[in-house]
Amino acid sequence: MKKTWKKSLAAALAMGLVVMLSAGCGGGDAKKEAAKDTKASAGKIVQLKSEKEADLLAQAKKEGSVKVYSITSRVSKAGAAFEKKYGIKVIASNLKDFELIDKISTEAKAKAEGTDLVICQDSGRVYGELITTGYLQNYVPADLKSVIPEANQSPLVFAYMNKVLVYNNENGKSAPVNNLWQLTEPNMKGKFFFKSPMQEGINANFLTMLTKEENANKLAKAYEDLYKKPLKLTTKNAGYEWIKMAFQNGLVMGPSDTAMTESVGVKGQNLTAIGLLNYSKLRYAEKKNLAVGTADKVTPFAGFYYPEYVMLVKDAKHPAAAKLFVQFLLTKEGFASWSKDMGTYSGNETIKVAKGDKPLAEWQKVLVGDDPQYIFEHRAEVEEFISKFM
Amino acid sequence: MSLWHRVRMFCRKPHNLILAFLFVALIVLTFLPLLSIVLDTFTVHTSEVMRIRGSHAGDWTLYHWRKVLLDGENSMAIFYKPLWNTVLISLATCAIAIGFGGTMAWLITRSNIRFKGFLSAIFVVPYIMPSWTLALAWLNFFRNSLVGGVPGLFTVLTGIPTPNWFAYGFLPISIVQGLHYAPFAYILIGGILKNMDANLEEAAQLLHATRWQILRRITLPMVKPAILSTFLLAFSSSMSAFAVPAFLGAPVRYHVLTTQLFRTLQGLNPGYGYLMALILILIGVGIMLINQKVLDNRKSYTTITGKSSNISLFNLRALRTPLSYGLGFLLTCVTIIPLITFAVESFIVEPGNYSWSNFSTVFWVGEGATDIANGEPGVLRNRSIYNGLYNSLVLSVLCAFFAGTIGILAGYAIVRKKGTWLSNAVNHLTFFPYLIPSMAFGAIYLSMFALPRGPIPALYGTFSVLVLIGTVKYLPFATKAGVNSMLQLGGEIEEAGIIMGIPWWKRMVRIIMPIQKTSILSGYLLPYISCMRELSLFILLISPSSAVLTTMLFQYNEKGWNQYANAINLLIVLVVLLSNWIINKLTGASIDKGIG
Repeated sequence: MKKTWKKSLAAALAMGLVVMLSAGCGGGDAKKEAAKDTKASAGKIVQLKSEKEADLLAQAKKEGSVKVYSITSRVSKAGAAFEKKYGIKVIASNLKDFELIDKISTEAKAKAEGTDLVICQDSGRVYGELITTGYLQNYVPADLKSVIPEANQSPLVFAYMNKVLVYNNENGKSAPVNNLWQLTEPNMKGKFFFKSPMQEGINANFLTMLTKEENANKLAKAYEDLYKKPLKLTTKNAGYEWIKMAFQNGLVMGPSDTAMTESVGVKGQNLTAIGLLNYSKLRYAEKKNLAVGTADKVTPFAGFYYPEYVMLVKDAKHPAAAKLFVQFLLTKEGFASWSKDMGTYSGNETIKVAKGDKPLAEWQKVLVGDDPQYIFEHRAEVEEFISKFM
Repeated sequence: MSLWHRVRMFCRKPHNLILAFLFVALIVLTFLPLLSIVLDTFTVHTSEVMRIRGSHAGDWTLYHWRKVLLDGENSMAIFYKPLWNTVLISLATCAIAIGFGGTMAWLITRSNIRFKGFLSAIFVVPYIMPSWTLALAWLNFFRNSLVGGVPGLFTVLTGIPTPNWFAYGFLPISIVQGLHYAPFAYILIGGILKNMDANLEEAAQLLHATRWQILRRITLPMVKPAILSTFLLAFSSSMSAFAVPAFLGAPVRYHVLTTQLFRTLQGLNPGYGYLMALILILIGVGIMLINQKVLDNRKSYTTITGKSSNISLFNLRALRTPLSYGLGFLLTCVTIIPLITFAVESFIVEPGNYSWSNFSTVFWVGEGATDIANGEPGVLRNRSIYNGLYNSLVLSVLCAFFAGTIGILAGYAIVRKKGTWLSNAVNHLTFFPYLIPSMAFGAIYLSMFALPRGPIPALYGTFSVLVLIGTVKYLPFATKAGVNSMLQLGGEIEEAGIIMGIPWWKRMVRIIMPIQKTSILSGYLLPYISCMRELSLFILLISPSSAVLTTMLFQYNEKGWNQYANAINLLIVLVVLLSNWIINKLTGASIDKGIG
């Protein structure tokens, strides 16, 4: 009986091995292929031919539907409007930025049919992981070529959003700081809110951008202006120094910008809280009875702005419908779900900003912008630096 | 004997076939993933190309190992300190779970405490509820303004600000997890106490042994295996728990390995994450080995012999009434109050304002107003939430069915061939998924099944991959239940059937299952309930159409749409309690009566 056991065991083991080997091989091939893809089109943005709405329509209707992964949930409203106009169904899914990036690269490698179109953020990673690998392809509608500024065309910017310093302005209080360095002072300990850069790529991008020379220099100058003495560096530059000091000063990392807007703006607590939060969340202020104002006079920066790209996925199953939807999103009609609220600025600058908001060009003067190349090359370094203080 | 003959002999015994099949299946589903983790710790992933200069995705690298283990200050911050915190929390959690749950099991089965049915039912509620329920309730109560924002209810009511060590970090995490896992101890230890042949204790009584002697010399040794199982389960559970430390640790930056795992797997360096997952698994295996050294596996006790009688109950005397009411009150607070706060929160429009005028049903039945939550329709009119509910139910039923059935068969086969190499191997393999942290398990299945593997097609984004991972992940529960119930069953009962020439399936269905009905049902119930409130296992694998309630809850929570999150949380708890109640009414079994 004993011997029987050993034999059967050996057989079972052999079977296991066969399965294992075949599985192992599959993995290897896929990885090699992925690596080849990366090399083949490195550094280039795959451009799809621009087409006119009229030429797409018939084919798009034949396709009947289009799938979208989006970091903005309002896309489903735009989708409903699109369906009403063209009779083409939009299946929209709302994902977080890193989720979307992971999904696209997994699906591209698996050649799985996931989506046709994405609205994505986190320029550094999207650029390095999805665009240069050719997983995402750029499409500019021919009808809109003349109204979308050149700078917003490759990759095509659906909209810009901004995060600005927001503070509790109950009873007409003024902002608790007017210089970023004041956030590192003891009286602001535990009063500064910022969503964890590990949870949202764009926040990590902002911190990375602070370490870029031109921005670090502005920070160094702001320090001198405030304290009338030069900043003593314990790190590489003033950007790193500010990050270190802000984190060590009890930076509060809340779960979401919406929740932190509430924490900052709640009334009756005599709060002196301030947060670097999504400006568009201020649309909840009235209904939720929050006292929130923007501290846009803070030097050298009052926050940052970042692009949201709209791009087609390689080998999309519904390309014509996707292209039509891209065009729709960049028209006044398609942008209606966003244009009523502050904090979103269409890539098509002929679409006016919401009442009470400033045009993006005004914001750009006081906010830090993105440099995808710099971010792609330096964010890892900055994240490692931050992880020591988290 | 020819080989053919031997194979035929082998195949004639159903338990042999079961073991052989499980062995192969589990190698593919649990051992291969492990191999895949190991490889992943040496691989450059797509998102790491920018970190590791000049590398390409898929290259071989030692970078992760060097950075995580040998990089001085960096390694200390990202790995060693969180590791130390993890160990401390897991030990404290085990102590609380075993102490509280074990005492409770003894009180219910062996003493004359009042309201047994009520206490028993309410004690397991914290386990039925998602673990973050208590964590969120703790925050609602004890949150302080030191870490920004509005103070919690406790401070509002009493005016006493809570210190950081009380509101966040080690203490609340251990308490919340201890309460959450105490039902493990209660169910496992209580199960043995309840099924234990009372003759043993009666015999001791007849020999004039004191209560204390009986407890120390008979009862405790009998439940020792259960205590160790509890320790093993609770330790590995709290080691791989994510939600509670994420909620209670983050405000004071108290990190454990799983929160680091989440950060690295979701962020830019999955290589770190896989390495940490590997280390978590190694720790788990280590505990299992130690456990086995301490507890000689062959020394099992046949506790059900086909007859049983009732032992006289320990008289708590003067303590009876205060203890009964005290426990009742405490447990009610722990279970009911969080639910009430969630219900209330789901109606509140302006945060922190609990006046009646601020209540609104808009989050339940509203059509969706753009100035509150992006025009999201109320929970009861929300199609995607119904879809999530449907997915959750189907998924839980399927996982429970597969895991439960395989668990019984595995338990049966393992016990029948106890002591053989194959039996031991299968026993360990079925337990293996428990040692892999859910999040890492999800990540591995994501990378493993994104492509077709041998006979298995690409499962990425499908519902089947959720069913598969759920089944494998909950197999340990079901197998434990299966093995435990089969161990208690004396072999002679089945032997009688064999002598009568009754075929195998009939012996299973007509003899074994009816006798061990309740513990077998608990083998189905545990996976069902775990699946209903599972988050980290599925979060990486869901595609928008296969979203389940918990992942939706997490998404709403992340967006800060508290009312929706609270409402869904309530919905999950209610669905689970309701199913528990229905199963109880239909079959007489329930989680709390996993005991009998």
